[in-house]
Amino acid sequence: MSKKRIGKALGEMFKTAMEEPVTVKYPFGAVIVAERFRGKLDVDPIRCTGCGVCEIVCPAGVITMVPVGKRSIGQREIEVKKPVFDLYTCISCGQCVEDCRFGALALTNKFELAVFDKGSLIMKKALKVVQ
Amino acid sequence: MSEEEKERREVGAGLMEYSPENLVPFGPVHPSLKEPEYFKLILEGEKIVEVHPRIGYVHRGIERAAQDRTWVKNIYLFERICGICSFAHSLAYTEGTESLTEFQIPVRAKYLRVLIAELERIHSHLLWLGLVGYWTGFDTLFMWIWKDREHVLDLLEAITGNRVHKSFSTLGGVRKDLTPALVSKLEEETKFITERVKYYETLVHSEETLVSRTRGVGRLTKEIAERLCPVGPLLRCSGIDRDVRKEDPYAAYEFIQPEVKTSNAGDIESLLSIRLAEVTDSCRMISEALDRLPEGPVRVPFPRIIPRGDAFFHVEAPRGELFYFIRSNGTPKPERVKIRTPTLANLLTAAEMLKGRPLADVPVVLTGIDPCFGCMDRVTVIDVDKSKKWSVSGEELRVYGIEYYRRGAGKR
Amino acid sequence: MQLLQLLVFPGLTFFVWIAFAFEWLERKTAARMQGRVGPMIAGPFGLLQPVADFLKLASKEQIIPKHSEKFVLTWGPPLYFAAPAIGIIFIPVIGNESIIGHPLDLLFVLFVLAFSTLMASLLGYSAAGRYSTIAVGRLVVQYTSYEIPLILSVISPAILAGNLSLGGIVSAQSNYWFILSAPIGFAVFIIASLAELEKPPFDIPSAKTEIVGGWMTDFSGNALAYVKLTKNLSYVFLSALAVTLFLGGPNGPVLFHQIILQYVMNTIYFMVKLFSVGFLIFVVKTALARIRIDQAAELFWTILTPLSLAQLGLVILLR
Repeated sequence: MSKKRIGKALGEMFKTAMEEPVTVKYPFGAVIVAERFRGKLDVDPIRCTGCGVCEIVCPAGVITMVPVGKRSIGQREIEVKKPVFDLYTCISCGQCVEDCRFGALALTNKFELAVFDKGSLIMKKALKVVQ
Repeated sequence: MSEEEKERREVGAGLMEYSPENLVPFGPVHPSLKEPEYFKLILEGEKIVEVHPRIGYVHRGIERAAQDRTWVKNIYLFERICGICSFAHSLAYTEGTESLTEFQIPVRAKYLRVLIAELERIHSHLLWLGLVGYWTGFDTLFMWIWKDREHVLDLLEAITGNRVHKSFSTLGGVRKDLTPALVSKLEEETKFITERVKYYETLVHSEETLVSRTRGVGRLTKEIAERLCPVGPLLRCSGIDRDVRKEDPYAAYEFIQPEVKTSNAGDIESLLSIRLAEVTDSCRMISEALDRLPEGPVRVPFPRIIPRGDAFFHVEAPRGELFYFIRSNGTPKPERVKIRTPTLANLLTAAEMLKGRPLADVPVVLTGIDPCFGCMDRVTVIDVDKSKKWSVSGEELRVYGIEYYRRGAGKR
Repeated sequence: MQLLQLLVFPGLTFFVWIAFAFEWLERKTAARMQGRVGPMIAGPFGLLQPVADFLKLASKEQIIPKHSEKFVLTWGPPLYFAAPAIGIIFIPVIGNESIIGHPLDLLFVLFVLAFSTLMASLLGYSAAGRYSTIAVGRLVVQYTSYEIPLILSVISPAILAGNLSLGGIVSAQSNYWFILSAPIGFAVFIIASLAELEKPPFDIPSAKTEIVGGWMTDFSGNALAYVKLTKNLSYVFLSALAVTLFLGGPNGPVLFHQIILQYVMNTIYFMVKLFSVGFLIFVVKTALARIRIDQAAELFWTILTPLSLAQLGLVILLR
């Protein structure tokens, strides 16, 4: 253990002052996120079959399946459903991405999700393709 | 009347004598507390006579919420109990749940769990060390340590995808694997952290103003520790050699043994050196884990329904022993999950350590236990008539409620 | 003409701007030494940030707590501001003489320092909060501790100069600075200044992690703006006092015959010394942790008071 003295930090202080500051000037400069960063959820409307697994597994209740039309298989007519994403409740855990066997879902590296209008975070991309 | 009850009454009687002028509120909103919690400090001048914690400000009903969610969804729920030790929570929950089944978790996944747990320990300890600087008015130390802690957080983001809520451990293994680039980055950063910690170790033991605030402050003796049962670094600083990683190894801790460092001083300075030594040790364990990392899958398919049974599981979170009790009734949802976080075990010890100290020591000692009130807050009952206060479990509350209505007190 | 000097240059307005500059320098140096960037938005390099902060705070609503002494809380901050504002005009800046010199103005300056602490404790007590009450207790303890070393260290230059006026002390330093014969006195003065200014390691009466805002906890809006400005002005005041007493005031190595040029050069010398002393205080402040009040009292009574007494004896022998 080294000897007690006052002002032990001085040397390191001047060293730090000579170095570049580590502050990220965020709104003016970009933040680089990692490759695996789990950000905003994105859906590929073409790949999505509307199976509804994501709705079941989502822990935050982001996904609701809404009926978009009818399709007949043989004699029966069944309702076709597609997911709507309320991204403002999304916790970016990635469970839906993991369980989507069609690879329709992905987490992008976008993280700026602050909006004035909550409605603008409702993603209805998957609906449009069917209509 | 038992001895304990007598003592409690005496304390209660003593309380009445203090005028409100002697009472200084510490919290629920206070610059040195990260989370809301209220401490009634009764002072005589600068000296503290009594400390009465009042918990329950951030009770979020997570244990109840867990009963309505499936086993997988609960991973993400329990992770959100605490931001700093989020992985310890998900680790305890997943390992506890896995122990109810007969599935074998791949060894590589176990190693990766250790890796992330140790990275989390580093970042949690560094956070606390920085805050010690902040509490003692040494803002420079605070800024430096948090600057270095950022490296660990970036590493966690690169490996797991998020800085705070890692969502890494899942039922049946882990969700992501390491790449060669990440391995080299890990090696580089652990070297960097070891280097920096070495500097901080000399700094905190030699900068006189800092030493004068930490040495001999909040002395915790072995007797008090045995009586009040603190956990984690706080227990180890009183000279009791206990670490869940060593005594009841989980994940891959049987292959990668930690070095448990204890100290007999029991003050904040020894807490500092214990936590710094643990950071160095974690760096060593990470490089050891990287060296021995076996090949293979990181995840096995896991059923959605867990067989009936009870599981007790405890892990060594950065703050101490984290305890989980999980009961399954063979459905897709757990019947009951009970969590005991380290802060709850440590809080009364901190209150005890404060007695007789000047007010200036409150932030250092109280937060020296590295409290996480958000994790801790469960149900608190305040009975005004008897001026007693205790935490109750859900079951006790249910019984209490039934009795309350049976007595007819609920009828208005 | 004298009134203009008092109010504009080298009087109040000049020093208030220096006070803002000091705050900027304090924040910027601390930030750079901690690996941050510090203020950078308002003005070039964030130079106008302290001004912006002051204006914003001054334009806010002042909340007066229910049980506080309203009269003191309203009129106290201007009086508190008056203390360093009056004291600072006795500092010689452009020449060997200050604007309103007096043969005994050193004593008045010391009185102003004491008055400033008195006002602070009065303000804290009248706010009647629990945190401010504790803070005032600490403030008074700290004051009783640092006042004696401070005054003892101030006496040394006065004895060396054989004069009790600041102008006389500056004139006596035309050959050599008193820091050479009274180095311990200078060190004690700087440490006592840190205590007077409530800066680390002596920010005990305003320790935010212990007692929230110290004696300023219950202040808001206009009053807080003035209290903060006063603290910065005291900062300048004490640094200027250190320059005057120990570093030769506006005396410089080169003399000019042209009177205006001499004034300009004197001001520049003074400013350089002022900012050096200020910088010294910033660095010390950044490098240390806060100590406890009992430790501070112990430090002042057992170490610094004997040291300054020894310095006094040495100075008397030298003379």
